[in-house]
Amino acid sequence: MTAPLLEINNLSKRFGSFTAVDSVSLTVAAGEIYGFLGPNGAGKTTTIKMLAGLLLPSGGSVTIDGQDLNRSPQEAKKKTGYIPDRPFLYEKLTGDEYLRFIASLYLQSGTEKVLTEAEKYLELFDLTAWQHHLIEGYSHGMRQKLIMASIFMLNQPLIIVDEPMVGLDPKSARIVKELFKSLAARGTAIFLSTHSMEIAEELCDRIGIIQHGRLTTTGSMEELRLQAATGTKNLEDIFLELTGAYELQGIIRALRQDTEDHGSR
Amino acid sequence: MATRLFRPWLLGNLNRFFPGKKLGLRAILILALGFAVCIIIYLGTLRVLTYFHSQNELGVILSLKIFQMAWITIFAMLIFSSMVTAVSTLYLSSDNEIILAAPIKADEIYLLRFVTTTISTSWMVLVFSLPVFGAYARVFEAGPLFWPLLLLAVPAMALIASATAMLATVILVYFFPARRTKDIILYLSLLFGILLYLIFRLMRPEDLVNPDRYGEFIEYFSAISAPAGPWLPAGWSANLLGTYLLDGRVDWLLAGLLITTPLVLYFAGEIAMRRWFFAGFSKSQESFGGHMRFRPTRSFPGTWAWIWRKELKYFLRDSSEWSQLFMVGALVVVYLYNFKALPLDRSPMPTDYLAHLIAFANIGLVGFMAASLAARFVYPSLSSERGAFYLIGSAPLPLSRFLLYKYLFYLPPFTLLTLLLVLVSNHLLDIEGPMQWISLFLSLLLTWTTVAMALGFGTYFADFKSENRAAAMGPGAILFLFCAILYQLSIISLGILPIYRLVRGWLRHSIMPPTDLVILCLWAGGAVFVSFLLAFIICRRSIATLRK
Repeated sequence: MTAPLLEINNLSKRFGSFTAVDSVSLTVAAGEIYGFLGPNGAGKTTTIKMLAGLLLPSGGSVTIDGQDLNRSPQEAKKKTGYIPDRPFLYEKLTGDEYLRFIASLYLQSGTEKVLTEAEKYLELFDLTAWQHHLIEGYSHGMRQKLIMASIFMLNQPLIIVDEPMVGLDPKSARIVKELFKSLAARGTAIFLSTHSMEIAEELCDRIGIIQHGRLTTTGSMEELRLQAATGTKNLEDIFLELTGAYELQGIIRALRQDTEDHGSR
Repeated sequence: MATRLFRPWLLGNLNRFFPGKKLGLRAILILALGFAVCIIIYLGTLRVLTYFHSQNELGVILSLKIFQMAWITIFAMLIFSSMVTAVSTLYLSSDNEIILAAPIKADEIYLLRFVTTTISTSWMVLVFSLPVFGAYARVFEAGPLFWPLLLLAVPAMALIASATAMLATVILVYFFPARRTKDIILYLSLLFGILLYLIFRLMRPEDLVNPDRYGEFIEYFSAISAPAGPWLPAGWSANLLGTYLLDGRVDWLLAGLLITTPLVLYFAGEIAMRRWFFAGFSKSQESFGGHMRFRPTRSFPGTWAWIWRKELKYFLRDSSEWSQLFMVGALVVVYLYNFKALPLDRSPMPTDYLAHLIAFANIGLVGFMAASLAARFVYPSLSSERGAFYLIGSAPLPLSRFLLYKYLFYLPPFTLLTLLLVLVSNHLLDIEGPMQWISLFLSLLLTWTTVAMALGFGTYFADFKSENRAAAMGPGAILFLFCAILYQLSIISLGILPIYRLVRGWLRHSIMPPTDLVILCLWAGGAVFVSFLLAFIICRRSIATLRK
């Protein structure tokens, strides 16, 4: 078995008396896509922010390719690419200037090689014609694609993604999915947080479900099916079963009854 | 490599001011305006200094003394404003997510934030102090070393202020969350500013040039000849320049202190950054206030009530907004104090006439005060809707109605302030009769129209991407101020003759001729008509622009 590229041990985060992330432990191997799912407010973004080095954990550790994120943050970050769900971009820079800036943040030398790589991604995302325009004129989807291009071009061993498909058109979403698969095939570890069950089901080798800050379930799709023990096949059913489907069943029944009553009137 | 982080800041500003690598019209206008302000400051300072110098040796020393006092005050204000800016740049910048997720050392981030904080807080002082120094150099016939010394003294003071502020901020945020620290610093700087303003005003610095006030001349002379603030960096730079201007001598000790102090403070800040920054930054993201629980909301009648409620809640829940009421309070106190301190009895003119003249001029001052406050509070009110403006745009509420509700929201406080300023100052001036009514009528008309103009200009130049109200005040706010003052001056100056005849008649207990009465009525009616038309046209045009 290959050594894990990302190793999280008993990671916790407390905001005052509220525990947002509670002793989460997991590993992601090189070439693996790990799906991180959970209901709203379960602790996904807090976990991701700690992995990206933006939030200090209250306890536990994060190791990226052998580097402890807390003890050697620069070395760990050199191996990480972080794609946030709502990417901030410098409005008064052009796309090309932004890419050059990001390259200079991560690389001491060889930025030209990376920028040649970036051209490929700009082409893929239909951004080539826009690369010399100010970012303030970009749509939400274009911004999302630009920030993805800026991370993909770096070819980092670990990519952390928060809601990758928000704002993307179907063509770009398809391209991003294929890119994730291709990067994983070349050995990149991808830690992906999403609400989309289709994406998780299609892309992820393993899935972890976080609830109330605790990682309640983890495993491959097959293992999740066994844990849910419902006989159902798709991830949405499994997810709902594991995160409180009994509540949902009641709500759905009430809504249907409401619709029928409305129809009979 | 240390400069790589500066690329977005540099390129962003270049792209902003030179769109398409050309000098844009906006940049030319800003440069021209800045240049004009510099010339005015230069000429004003030159005039004051020439007056001081015409008043023997005492005047010369006094002019340096005032300069030293002002310089120390500016230094203190710079430290506080640098602290507020440092909290924003270090902990609340939206690009932190990019920069801090990258393998960048704390030292490099510190350098970036230090330079940008220094420039954003002190560029105005640096630029607008140049004409003041130019005037001093000319009047004192300064030697050739003055400009190199200036090049050392002024930037050194700015660097010391921001290095002190950065160091204090990093330590403070380690103990308090960033937003709370920002609030603490904001209150402190506001209180400090108010205190300085009140002290400066209530000390009546104009008495310094009034020889009757001082019995012991030698005592006074020795007191003002002593160097100001020998322990303060601002005192060092002021005294370095002052000594050179007066004696043509360079104080090398002060020069050395000004070179070494910024370096020492910078490296101390860097060490603090390495030790405490990340823990503080992490904590700053936790202080979201989501744990606060508010009382359930009562029901309100109609859309207008909810819009008013929203405006009020936004204002009261944003400490950077409501805390400015302290400053308004201080302004009102000093404003009215000035009327109390007026030496009317020492004037060669009859007191009645002079009091009425001042009451008339007071209408313009009230109008100016209303315009300044409207520029700060009303002008950015539409921009402050920010991204949420789509809610208004997509709601079945006409934009004109929305603006009308906003206008009616701001009207009562501005009306109250105007009434307070006019009635109290008129009372202090013992104004009765027609001038009381004229000043009330005209002040209210000017204020109401100015508020409408502020809203109209703010709508026309709305910037929904600005981070806060202060940031939304771009060149449009300056244009609004200019137009509002032009409008006020036009209305007031057209009324000089009819009002003069009315007041003169009243003071002489004579009956007003019918022609004068007709002219007065025509002027009053015209003023109301023009004001209404102006507000209507501006608001209508702005709404049309916004719809586009």
